[in-house]
Order: sequence, then C-alpha cells, then structure tokens
Amino acid sequence: MFEVRSKKNKILLQLILFVMTIPYLIPLVQMVLGSLGGRGLYNYKVVWDTGVVPIYFRNSAIIAVGVIALVYAFSMTAGFGFAKLHIKGKEFYFWMILIALTLPEVILLTPLFVTFQKLHMYNTLFAVILPTAALQLPFTILLARKFNEGIPGELMEAARIDGANIWQVFTQVILPMTKPIASAIIVLTLINAWNAYLLPLLFLQSPNLQVVTLLPQYFQGEFTNDQTKILAAAVMTAIPEIIAYLLMQKNFEKGMIAGALK
Amino acid sequence: MKDKKMKSSTYISGLPWILPALLFLVVIVYYSIISTFNLSTLDWNGLDPIRTSVGMKNFVKMIHDRVFWLCLKNTVIYFAITFVVQNTLGFLFAAILHSQVKLSTLHKCIIFIPTILAPATMAPVFRLLFSPQGMLQSVFNALHLPITVDWLANPNTALFVLMAVAIWEFTGMSFILYYAAMSQVDKQILEAARIDGAGNIRTLITMVLPHCKGTTVSLAMLGIIGALKTFDIPYLITTGGPNHATEFLGTYIYRQGIRQSHLGYAAALSVALLVLAIGGALASNYSKKGD
Repeated sequence: MFEVRSKKNKILLQLILFVMTIPYLIPLVQMVLGSLGGRGLYNYKVVWDTGVVPIYFRNSAIIAVGVIALVYAFSMTAGFGFAKLHIKGKEFYFWMILIALTLPEVILLTPLFVTFQKLHMYNTLFAVILPTAALQLPFTILLARKFNEGIPGELMEAARIDGANIWQVFTQVILPMTKPIASAIIVLTLINAWNAYLLPLLFLQSPNLQVVTLLPQYFQGEFTNDQTKILAAAVMTAIPEIIAYLLMQKNFEKGMIAGALK
Repeated sequence: MKDKKMKSSTYISGLPWILPALLFLVVIVYYSIISTFNLSTLDWNGLDPIRTSVGMKNFVKMIHDRVFWLCLKNTVIYFAITFVVQNTLGFLFAAILHSQVKLSTLHKCIIFIPTILAPATMAPVFRLLFSPQGMLQSVFNALHLPITVDWLANPNTALFVLMAVAIWEFTGMSFILYYAAMSQVDKQILEAARIDGAGNIRTLITMVLPHCKGTTVSLAMLGIIGALKTFDIPYLITTGGPNHATEFLGTYIYRQGIRQSHLGYAAALSVALLVLAIGGALASNYSKKGD
C-alpha cells in the first residue's frame, strides 16, 4: 500500500514496523522470563512431573476435534443451502442464526446446567463441545454463505447436466471449491475451542476431565503464589498453539482473504 | 435455455441443508434464551424447590442498581477506546505489510499470536507484568523513572490496563481482516492516484480506507458484541475489581448468578445484555445498508 522508493524511506518504514510490533512481544517475553525465574528450567520439570499436563492437553484436543467436526459439517451444509438453494423464508432463518452471534456464553450457563444434569451430560466433554460449537456456528455459517455465493452457478449446472444429484454436486463441486474458507473456519474454531474457559470451568468437575485453560488455576492451587511454575505451565500451554498456528498460517491467511467480509 | 436449467437446481429445496444447523442452534441457543426470559421473572437460588414469581421486580432492581450502570459505562468506554486503537493499529499493520517490507511473515505471526493464545493462559502473565514485581517496573527502575506499577490495584487505571490487554489480543483480528480487504484494492487505481501526485498518507486515507469500509463496519459490529460479551479478560485478571472498577455485564452476571445464586436477577441482567447486543448488531448492520 505504501510506495517507498528511496532507501531512506524504506528503512524508515521498516523501523516504524519494528517499533509498532515491539509491544506485542512484551507479554510473551515476560511470560518466558517469568517462567525461568528462581530455579530456571527446573520449573518446567516440576510442572511436567505433576503428570496433569498430558491429561489436560488430551481433553482439550478431544474437545477441539469434536467442536471442529460439528462446526465444519453444519457450516458447510448450511452455507451451501443458504447461498445456492431455494428456501422459503430464507432470510428469516438466516437472521435466526445471526442473532445467536450476539449470545454471550454466560447466558447459557444456568439453562444448560439444569438440562445437562437432567440428561446426565454434566461433567462430560459433551457438555463443553455442544455449546461451544453452537456459539461458533453463526459466524462460520456467515463466512461459508458469503464464500458459497461467490461460486458460479454454472459449475453446479454443469455437474447437474452430467447427471449428478444434489449430494454429489455438494461433495464433488462445492466442497473442493470451498477449501480456502473451510481452512479459515477450522483455524478460527480451533482457537475458540482450545481457548474455551468458562464452560469447562463450570461443566467439568472430574480431575481427569480438565482442559489446558484451567492449568494456571490448577497450579495456583498446587504451588500457592509460586508465579514461576504457573508461568512455566502457561508457556507449555502456549507452545503447541503457536506451533499449530505457524503450520496453518499460510492456509489461514488464504482463507481469510478468500472469505473477506465485504 | 440456460436460464431454465439454472432455475431447475436453484429450486431444489435447501431446507434439509440448513435444518441440521438450525435445529442444533434452536435446541441449545433458543432454548437457553427462552429459559433465561422465564428465569428473569423469578426469585430463585437454583436449589429451592419453590420458585417465587416476582414479575418485573428483577428489572426494577436492575434499573436502580448502581453497579449495573457502572457495567454499562465501563462497556462503552472499553468499546470506544479499544475499537479506535485496535483498528487503527490493525489498519496500519495491514497497509505496511502490504508494502515492500522485509520479514513480513515474522511480523504477521507476532501480531497474530496474541489472538490465538487463551486469555486464561495469559492472565497470570498480565497480572505479573502490571505488578510491582513485573518487567515494566524493572524497566522503569533501570531508567530511574519514579513510576510505581500497581495499575491493576488502582481503580482509576485498572480498566485501562484491561483495554491494553484487549487491544494486544485482538489487533491480530483487525489486522487480518484489513489485510484481506486490502488485497482486493486495485493497484492500478493507486498507481493512477500517485501519478496525479497524491502522497502515501493521502492515498491511504482517501482511497484505501474507504475501500475497507465494509471491513470497518464488520469490525464495529464484532467490537460492540465483543465488548458486551467481555468476560474472560476482566474475570481472570481483576475479577471485576477493584471495587467494581472493571465490572462488565458478563462478570456481573457471573457474580450474581453463579457466585451468589441470585439466578433470577442474573437472568434479568442477561436479558438486558441480550437486548443491547441485538440492538448493537442491528444498528451496525443498518449503517452498512446505509451506504
């Protein structure tokens, strides 16, 4: 966007970028430095030796996979339906879904608590997976619909003429073409599912059902006020997230560009 | 001929395609909304078999509740400042990273990593960073600046610390959306403007910014809803304190409903929150249509 020709301006722009980025690094530096305070890397060993880290990670991973599967299936089918097929009262249904975008999870707590207890789902991973997916869906359906609207109808028609039924059109034409938005949806859903805090805090009670966002709290109980261990746990939680993001960064960027909200 | 064929498949009913998502949302979301409305007319602690119906009493209590208005005030300040700062930064980052700069992927990652890290993971870090034991204090000490960092304990500064945290966390989102919007700017038009003598800053403000208006409106909508929904950051860093200075509707509903078992009152606050969020979303959507 900026056109810089002279060497002086090029260096200046680079310098501005560096200065603007530094504040974003400060908390990360504090996290790492803090985790190495006192006995250094030994803090990490103490945290690891408690044995809870792999359990918390496993539960977060199960929740993330469950939420992504639901969100992917529901957003892809609904995005296609809303964008490409005939539905009576379409915009009404769409608004019904969009209104859910405004819903804070704190509102869900009491009604879901009562229901999950009745259905014996309280203190199971489903109690986190289902509402987390529901809260994620409005935004991902919006993204999927916008993206599907950009796919030319002729492609669908060509497949229809070749004798494909609507399901085959969906799986053979639409799904391959919606890959960019699908990867953006998956990354966004992964972030939200992995970072979910309130629902796991209230709906998961057993020690073997806890998730990564509850690790700092666990260690606060375990090592009262020993900040270094708590921060070591934070670093251990952050690293896999950062690695996952770096691996998907290119796809995610492509997806966001493709699905840019206009 | 072609038109007729087009119709044949657009007239396949799409209802079965949207029904799974719709039913899922109705069962979880709409059920909860209706149940919250119902709860808001009760005086109930969640355990008693007796639920006393109190009509509109919870709402009357809310209107006279100083903390409720404080939550709204905090939300407005929080939205206004984070919206402006976060989106200005996101816009500038996007513009700079669309220019010819080195190490652009590294910068993109540093800006976006805060967005992917859970507030729950980062909360202990921020509590340390903004305390007298933190890194900022060491820097001020090393520079011999007479500043004491205990900004989270001070009711006048705590809210600003939380805003800084929110800006740190969500700039990545603004950045990526602006970055995406800017990749659709017609380079030739910018070139033409430059040939006409427009400078970088002027091109950015008069041509690129209007092009990104849709993104700005979407970000405003997400920002309003996000500010109203704010929970993790204040709850985990200050638990709404000191003395409600960082109380938001989300943390207050939690305090009333979960901590103190005033389920009816918490539900009334939830209804207010929901009405405000839907109102905010409709208002920003209306401004989009007004183009």
